Amino acid sequence: MKQKGWLRRAAIVWLLGLLLVAVFADFLANDRPLIVSVAGETRFPVLHEYGESLGLVSPYQPVVRNWKKTETDWAIWPVVPYSAGASDLKNSNFKSPFDKQDTAPRARHYLGTDDLGRDVLAGLIAGSRVAIFVGIGSLLISLLIGVPLGGVAGFFGNDGLRGTRARWWGLSVGGLLGLLYAAVSLLPFFRVESFGLTILLLLGGFLLGGWLLALLLGLIPFFRQPASFPADAVVLQAVELFVNIPALVLLIALLAVINQPSLWVVVLVIGVLRWPTVARHLRGELLRIRSLPYIEAARVSGLGRWRILFRHALPNAIGPLLVVSAFGLGGAILLEAFLSFLGIGIPADEVTWGSLLRGSRSRPDAWWLAVFPGVLLTFTVLAANVLGERE
Amino acid sequence: MLRYAIRRLSLLPLSLFLLSLICFGLLQLTPDDPVQRLLPDEDARLSNNDPEAYDRSYRSAAADLGYDRPAFYFSLQNAALPDTLYRIVRPEERALLRAFTLRTGNWPAVSHYYHTLKRIAWAPASADQPETTTLLRRLLLQNDFDRAKQSINDLPNAPQTAPLKAAFSALETQTSRAKLLLPALDWHGSNNQYHNWISKLLRGELGVSLNDRRPVGKKIGRALKWTALINGFAILLVFFLSIPLGLYMAGYRGGRFDRITTVGLFLLFGIPSFWVATLLTNFFTTPAFGMDFFPSMGFGEVPEGASVWQIIRIRAAHLFLPVLCLAYPSLAYVSRHLRRSAAHEMNQAYVKTARLKGLSRSAILWRHVLRNASFPIITLLAGILPALLAGSVLIERIFNLPGMGQLLYNAALVRDWPVVIIVVLLSGLLTAVGLLLADLAYAFADPRIRLNATKPSAS
Repeated sequence: MKQKGWLRRAAIVWLLGLLLVAVFADFLANDRPLIVSVAGETRFPVLHEYGESLGLVSPYQPVVRNWKKTETDWAIWPVVPYSAGASDLKNSNFKSPFDKQDTAPRARHYLGTDDLGRDVLAGLIAGSRVAIFVGIGSLLISLLIGVPLGGVAGFFGNDGLRGTRARWWGLSVGGLLGLLYAAVSLLPFFRVESFGLTILLLLGGFLLGGWLLALLLGLIPFFRQPASFPADAVVLQAVELFVNIPALVLLIALLAVINQPSLWVVVLVIGVLRWPTVARHLRGELLRIRSLPYIEAARVSGLGRWRILFRHALPNAIGPLLVVSAFGLGGAILLEAFLSFLGIGIPADEVTWGSLLRGSRSRPDAWWLAVFPGVLLTFTVLAANVLGERE
Repeated sequence: MLRYAIRRLSLLPLSLFLLSLICFGLLQLTPDDPVQRLLPDEDARLSNNDPEAYDRSYRSAAADLGYDRPAFYFSLQNAALPDTLYRIVRPEERALLRAFTLRTGNWPAVSHYYHTLKRIAWAPASADQPETTTLLRRLLLQNDFDRAKQSINDLPNAPQTAPLKAAFSALETQTSRAKLLLPALDWHGSNNQYHNWISKLLRGELGVSLNDRRPVGKKIGRALKWTALINGFAILLVFFLSIPLGLYMAGYRGGRFDRITTVGLFLLFGIPSFWVATLLTNFFTTPAFGMDFFPSMGFGEVPEGASVWQIIRIRAAHLFLPVLCLAYPSLAYVSRHLRRSAAHEMNQAYVKTARLKGLSRSAILWRHVLRNASFPIITLLAGILPALLAGSVLIERIFNLPGMGQLLYNAALVRDWPVVIIVVLLSGLLTAVGLLLADLAYAFADPRIRLNATKPSAS
């Protein structure tokens, strides 16, 4: 195991580096200077952009459209003085990294350009942002669904969740009815349009409907008998149904349905399709943990079951969960590259590793378009695989 | 064993039913209008000059396709909406009626507004005010209440628009929003779109492509042949290479062969195959780098009267790279997992017994270890059927092979729903059948496994 240690460290360093590049992408590759002094006024064009989009500051006056053609007193430029997707017509038509380029002294296109002179390095930096966004976003969604379901299924099993029949029937039937009522009648009545409020109202409908029906059923003696909720069977059945869905095929069909491609939709769909993996692994892990002596000890000392689950059992399962997450991260990034390579679901103006690779197909001798994005993608997937390797 | 199989089989129809619901839901969600696409172009031109005639031909086309029926056996909707809303066949107008009714709760007023608007907008365009007519016709598509209000206020005060303004102000004043609080459950019976669609599907009528009007079944049959061909070769390659590789890595574990192959397979598993395929096509099928070793795209043309050897040579040249790209990720996957499970078996007591009996290492590996370590092979087998469809989307795209992946991709791009839905359904069916076969095979290879037991390394 010792000789593998450096490999894992290298993988972590690679992924963290990618995260840093993604976070600071605008400061690494931009066709605006970081700090500039123009006509005696010091400006921070890149930083200012963030303020403008947040509505904190108003744009600089007078507006500068093209910084490269503006007379400045002095300027500090980003490492790559080009934005992804911005064309540089002086260096158009596939300039190789080693070609003679018509640029300012410290503004070479280090990794070449494509047909419109768009800088490949800037594209790679922007692509790492998309990859990290899709990877982490879909990972979070799959954890959000998979951890509660897998946790409850593994920890409580089929007979751990005890209550009256009224409670379980009320919560499942009444909850469903409440949810449907909220969707059909309450949403138009209150004219709810924002996403957050919709979710809140639906959740409220579920809880209120469940509580009401449980209260009502409690009056009938048959429903007052104790019963346990078969959490494990229900979750396993749901996983089974999801496993039968052909993910890639459904993804292509689903993304073609949507009129306006958006990264959020891609994140949501990949996340939802991936939760069964998380749930299954966590369930297996908690099945093992719940029979360990320290859980028994906690139970004997009178701690609540939910408290044991959240404070004692789940923290112990974080290690295996991280391993699954690393693997899922690599998978999601690969899937994003698939989709943007096919040109499905990812907005057309977004520069990604996959879209750069697709661009290389129209011009086979422009090797720099094919090699660099592929190398980045491969290293990222390999890093995720190294971390996701189960011992 | 039999009981296990039956229990497992009984879950299959449920999965397929749910998948068909998902597919049908997708069909309903599609934003574009299939009726409009099927109408001939002359009819579309009619829509400007004589909207009433266009509406008539649209209605009859929709009725032919069954779009004037309810979507499902039952519907749960707001009580303010009429239970026969599905009879309005044009999606834009249905959206208008639905949005306005959910806003005001007063269906009769909305209906009155709709009919008034239709009457005025469809009247022959007056020569002096052509823009008023355009505005009115655009109102028929406007399902945003506030914007519609804006447009109606902007209309000139002419005698012909007066009834419309009156109808709209009635809509604004006579609201009965309390009605919105009631839900309504309606039963439509079996004369609905889903029943119609699924019974046609079960009878084997897969529909026609919206794009070229060819039967979907024929299109899929043609594509399936090629996909089956390349996947068949890829699977054969995987089995012939990965079983000995995995077994001998486990047999000589810790040795130099094992260490080098482990690293190599790990790299192979991580390198995305579509990148490798792109590189291979760029370098070896184009003259760009002077290494034009392989013919570029497709399956190649076989000349008239060619001998068997010639055919094989031509096809092999075209198939070599795609099969390689399709096979190597599975090769790495199966070998790595086979090595892990075989290495685990090598530590068992029965292997020691076999060795003490004096069996050679090869005999132990092939005769005793293989069956007990065969789970990864079964997992791959489960993946074969769905992979026939889905796994090769990118490879077929890159090498431009006219298989299922290419068919799905092209159909999705032009929104040819009948084709997309059938491909999704088919691949779901194959995924389910593949998993079922794998589960049965697991149980066959290891009789201790039963339903609901945790599956070994199925992920």
